[in-house]
Amino acid sequence: MLETDRNPNIEILSYSEVVNVEGYIGNFRVKVKRKARFVDENKCTGCGQCTSVCPIYVPNYFDENFSVRKCIDIAFAQAVPAVSNIERSSCVECFACVDSCDVEAIDFSQKDEIIEIEAGTIIVATGWDLYQGDDYGYGTYDNVITQIQLERILAPNGPTFGHLKRPSDRKRPKKILFINCVGSRNVDTNAYCSVVCCNLSVKNSKLIKSEYPDSEIVVCYIDMRCAGKMYEEYYRRARDSGILFIKGLVGKMREDPLTNNLIVQFEPVGTDSVVEMEFDMVILSSASLPSQGTNNIASVMNLEKTPDGFLKEAHARLDPISTKIAGIYLAGSCQGQKSIELAVSQAKGAASTASIPMKHEKYTIELIRGQPDNARCAKCYKCVEACPYGAISINEEDQIEVDIISCRGCGICAATCPSKAIDLAHYKDIQYVAYINELLPMEN
Amino acid sequence: MAGTIRAQYPVSLRTVLVPCTGRVDPDAIMRAFGRGADGVLIVG
Repeated sequence: MLETDRNPNIEILSYSEVVNVEGYIGNFRVKVKRKARFVDENKCTGCGQCTSVCPIYVPNYFDENFSVRKCIDIAFAQAVPAVSNIERSSCVECFACVDSCDVEAIDFSQKDEIIEIEAGTIIVATGWDLYQGDDYGYGTYDNVITQIQLERILAPNGPTFGHLKRPSDRKRPKKILFINCVGSRNVDTNAYCSVVCCNLSVKNSKLIKSEYPDSEIVVCYIDMRCAGKMYEEYYRRARDSGILFIKGLVGKMREDPLTNNLIVQFEPVGTDSVVEMEFDMVILSSASLPSQGTNNIASVMNLEKTPDGFLKEAHARLDPISTKIAGIYLAGSCQGQKSIELAVSQAKGAASTASIPMKHEKYTIELIRGQPDNARCAKCYKCVEACPYGAISINEEDQIEVDIISCRGCGICAATCPSKAIDLAHYKDIQYVAYINELLPMEN
Repeated sequence: MAGTIRAQYPVSLRTVLVPCTGRVDPDAIMRAFGRGADGVLIVG
């Protein structure tokens, strides 16, 4: 990220949100809301003095609320730019931070700012969020956590400095259960497979087993989906190290109120028996969802989604990078959850694809376009709603206007208009009516 | 499409090319039925 920040051709706008996109390929006008940090980005040196004097602690979202951070703090250790921001809703306005800052970077009068950017092409890479349902006692039982929370516990800069400890009593859990497919492959929650969780359970279980060889680890799965380069071999090594992978999902789970252990019942596939086992900690391999940011940008930019809620690509096989709208491309999990190397490949592909029209500085359109006849228009605006490309709009004189760049000549507007006030150039109604008349001649 | 796979189809099947199935007006379908078509297939 530092390299990106230092590249002279790249400008990072962090703590910001895209609120409006207008225009077409080569000429997008994007409005970005720069949220108020209450710290001047140009002055703050990231020294952390303000953080040390701040008296207010808030939950640390980066550590999945397992630790605290101060009300004024840098977002996380590796944040770029490394400048503080204030969580105003928790701030008591003691101004200790203002007094402590040597460069007078703190500014409580800052307001949100909207800036406008001109862009030729846009790449959407808004990522994913974790499913956080109440399955298997998540949110109720202390020692039921998600994989992401486990990643923070195992991280050297996390809430436990990388030591495996469980939430209820901070003791090291010896018997650990991973439950895969939580919220995935389930018609009640998400019908799709979240792609990465099987490999994640292999990785994290293997990591724990290597660090703490006396751990007893069980992974409950429906299928172990370790497709891709080297993943199946990794799965074999995990099994060889003594981790039990059992096919069969967990049925009932209850917590022992004295020990906070979880007593779990499951039925291994292919046996008649119901097994009951007690675990110190249970880890849920939860589903991957389109992020809140992805949903926001989809409504701002009028992007289509596939039934699973992820952003819709131009073609599922032949072009998973472009979208229907010329000049807008997708990269990463927003288009569908994928492993890291596939996200990187897609990102490189998106960058190359976006650079092609920018290099040519020309964009060719076809002649088949919507043509409004405003004399006939009854101003029902059904065409504006029906256009899948957002190419039809109403101008200042209350007339229908078709943007010939965004228009793709599909003709849905012409088919929808009840007044026949908009037609498709080169595919006019009278043209194909004549066609039909000839194909089906009537005697009289 | 039938041409590319060298398939044969009967002469009672008449085709009208459109740029997109979205272009097909309900009026056009009714016109076809009104002029004696037994069925209208929208393929896209």
